[in-house]
Amino acid sequence: MASIAVPKSTGYERPAILDWLTTVDHKKLGILYFYFTMFFFAVGGVLALLVRTQLAVADNAFVNNNVYNQIFTMHASAMLFLFIIPVWAAFGNYIVPLQIGAPDMAFPRINALSFWLLPPAGIIMFSGFFVDGGAAQAGWTAYSPLARTLGTGMDLWIIAVLLLGISSTIGAANFLVTMFRMRAPGMTMFRMPIFCWTVLATSILQLLATPVLAAALVMLYIDRNYGGSFFDPNGGGNAVLWQNVFWFYSHPAVYIMILPGMGIISEILPVFSRKPLFGYKAFVFATMGIAGLGFSVWAHHMFTTGAVLKPFFAFMTFMIGVPTGVKIFNWLATLWKGQITFETPMLFALGFISMFLIGGINGTYSAAVPVDFALHDTYFVVAHIHYVLFGGSVFAVFGGLYYWFPKIWGRKLNERLGQVHFALMFIGFNLTFFPMHLLGLDGMPRRIATYSADHNWDFLNSLSTAGAFIIAVSMIPFLINVTMAFLRPKDQPNDPWEANTLEWWTTSPPPVHNFDDIPPIYSERPLWELKHGKGADASHH
Amino acid sequence: MRKPATRHWPFRKLATLVPVALIAMLSVNVALADFGQPNGITNEANKMHDLYLLVTVMGLIVFALVEGALVFALFRFRKKSDELPSQMHGNNLVEVLWTAIPIVIVVTLFAFAFRTLVDIEHDSREEDLTVCVQGFQYQWQFEYRLNDMGTGTDPKAAAAAKQIKGNPCEVAGNPADITVIGKAGPENEPTLVIPIGERVEFRLKSTDVIHSFYIRDFLYKLDVIPGRDNKFTVTGNEEGTFFGQCAELCGLNHSLMRFKVEVMSRENFNKWVAEQTAGTKATRQP
Repeated sequence: MASIAVPKSTGYERPAILDWLTTVDHKKLGILYFYFTMFFFAVGGVLALLVRTQLAVADNAFVNNNVYNQIFTMHASAMLFLFIIPVWAAFGNYIVPLQIGAPDMAFPRINALSFWLLPPAGIIMFSGFFVDGGAAQAGWTAYSPLARTLGTGMDLWIIAVLLLGISSTIGAANFLVTMFRMRAPGMTMFRMPIFCWTVLATSILQLLATPVLAAALVMLYIDRNYGGSFFDPNGGGNAVLWQNVFWFYSHPAVYIMILPGMGIISEILPVFSRKPLFGYKAFVFATMGIAGLGFSVWAHHMFTTGAVLKPFFAFMTFMIGVPTGVKIFNWLATLWKGQITFETPMLFALGFISMFLIGGINGTYSAAVPVDFALHDTYFVVAHIHYVLFGGSVFAVFGGLYYWFPKIWGRKLNERLGQVHFALMFIGFNLTFFPMHLLGLDGMPRRIATYSADHNWDFLNSLSTAGAFIIAVSMIPFLINVTMAFLRPKDQPNDPWEANTLEWWTTSPPPVHNFDDIPPIYSERPLWELKHGKGADASHH
Repeated sequence: MRKPATRHWPFRKLATLVPVALIAMLSVNVALADFGQPNGITNEANKMHDLYLLVTVMGLIVFALVEGALVFALFRFRKKSDELPSQMHGNNLVEVLWTAIPIVIVVTLFAFAFRTLVDIEHDSREEDLTVCVQGFQYQWQFEYRLNDMGTGTDPKAAAAAKQIKGNPCEVAGNPADITVIGKAGPENEPTLVIPIGERVEFRLKSTDVIHSFYIRDFLYKLDVIPGRDNKFTVTGNEEGTFFGQCAELCGLNHSLMRFKVEVMSRENFNKWVAEQTAGTKATRQP
């Protein structure tokens, strides 16, 4: 067996609470990241339900304009900054060191700092609800000069996002060093699991783009508090400048929000079709291609400003569809002629592919500039981002949770409840977001607190609201599933899925130091090689 | 080694009907709703709508092929035995092909998009009249200058108006003859009036925050940015009343920045101008 009994204590016992507060173990920090991000997923979800309730019917007065602007701003801010981006750090923290055969991250204390910057940021951002004027209400994009004019909630938002930016920048440096310096003997770069590659690409994006956002936020803070006018034309500044610096970060941030999800899908598909990922190297190059091209498309968010070179950004935006398409084809080819089984992680992975495909196709509408003139800032774009970030990223988050749950918590989640969760979420998701395409085409702008009954937008909006509540209901089987799992003893073997990568070599959950020994590594699927390939006879399983 | 028969899904034949039914429903919808997007009421909008149709057709083909391949694979290659499938790591030929084909598709789409863009943005013909649009928190103001809209009585002044370089909305000594200002409240939405078949230029201005001038049936919007002189030109080709709305979050009552657009014949437009300018150059209440 790979596991030998390791003494639980290393000499002295700390109270559990103190242990969790001071831990520098990447696995415990990963779990803390999970709890933190899932909490804000719930908070963002409740805000989304409030938004959908307000929009369910025309001329609704469930909340007033002031509150509405706060809740949709905070919905997006929570989901993007406090859920999606840090949830990849949760997976990255727990999984990357295990997948490369390392005992921990390169800088465990910096890793702890990365995490512990998050709770204050979340508290600061949401404390906006308790100050005069309310929470931030300029949208998650905080366009200036509007953002200059709003209340204290806006300053709190700026400070919170700055802290999150610091967390993600130092976290990115940590991941990069870990993957460059701490790989097990035999694990060359091109034998790294694909999930690690996507975290690597994401970390490069974070390291290069987040400081630009930090600079922009500081400039906005100066504009608001110290008489600056970087973004105020009345003081000699430029309103479009904010959009340039903001999107220079926030477009790469879209890839920060989706690439690790693609990585998770690329771990799950091979395991449940019993085949290697088709075109591993092509996948790596496509990932790096997306990361590179990701820096040259930011102004496709700004076609209607009339202040950007439209043909260039349109061309680059079309081009970034190519590596994305390559990935989808690689996934299909991975399934092709496999022995496919449909365990819950696989259901979410397949849901990801089918929904992310729609998110790619409806993105081309915005790349075709003259079509974007009509669709920009309408619900069509809201549909697009949710097909990418919910149909894509969130499905990947749940796929990854079901997949790695046995490793992280030592128990398996129930399959039947997982299927119910998936089915409800899949139906709810499409019911919520598909009608938004039609609303956008019919001219419903995004970020409006209410709309006139004259437009006949009620029906589609009601469908969408019903879908949102189905998504909420889909969380019930998930929560029951997790609760029931936690009530059971840890019973999972090292490798319950017959998977390919090193994290399945050690115990579930792994010991503090992760590995007692590392098997020989001949490919990106070391465990597969042990079972079926080179070195199969050397296996001590 | 086959799985026991109980694993055989009894609804397999039925399932093949699902995509057929979906496609049938979709085509009915498409035929009814012009692929979901209104056709537009300006010459420019019609061109943009054509591009929209092209993107939609391409998108539907890609969707059908990829989603079809996915569903096919899930049925065809679901687990039938414990035998290891062949461990295919890649294939250079297909990988080159499925990189090259998307490149051809997106470059083609880009070429069409670029042509449409040039078509609608680089028409060198002179505009027939200019409407000065100002967005403010939280409504719109539309200004017309008589000598710039073919209704002026003084040919000298009209010729002089044509000589004005730069933004006619900002030139000193060129006051507006008609000003339509919106007020808060749904019944006070301002109406923007333009003649059909003439090239109407919109010059956009804001002094507070960014707004976006969006008229659904123009299939067009352009941001109204403080410190920036944004403009665009359209030629209306359908009479009627349409709606417009601010499309860039601009603060508390952003959702109430609605307005109407009336496209009418030159004859009716002249009547409207006469009504508006009768007596004094009073500010028109909407």
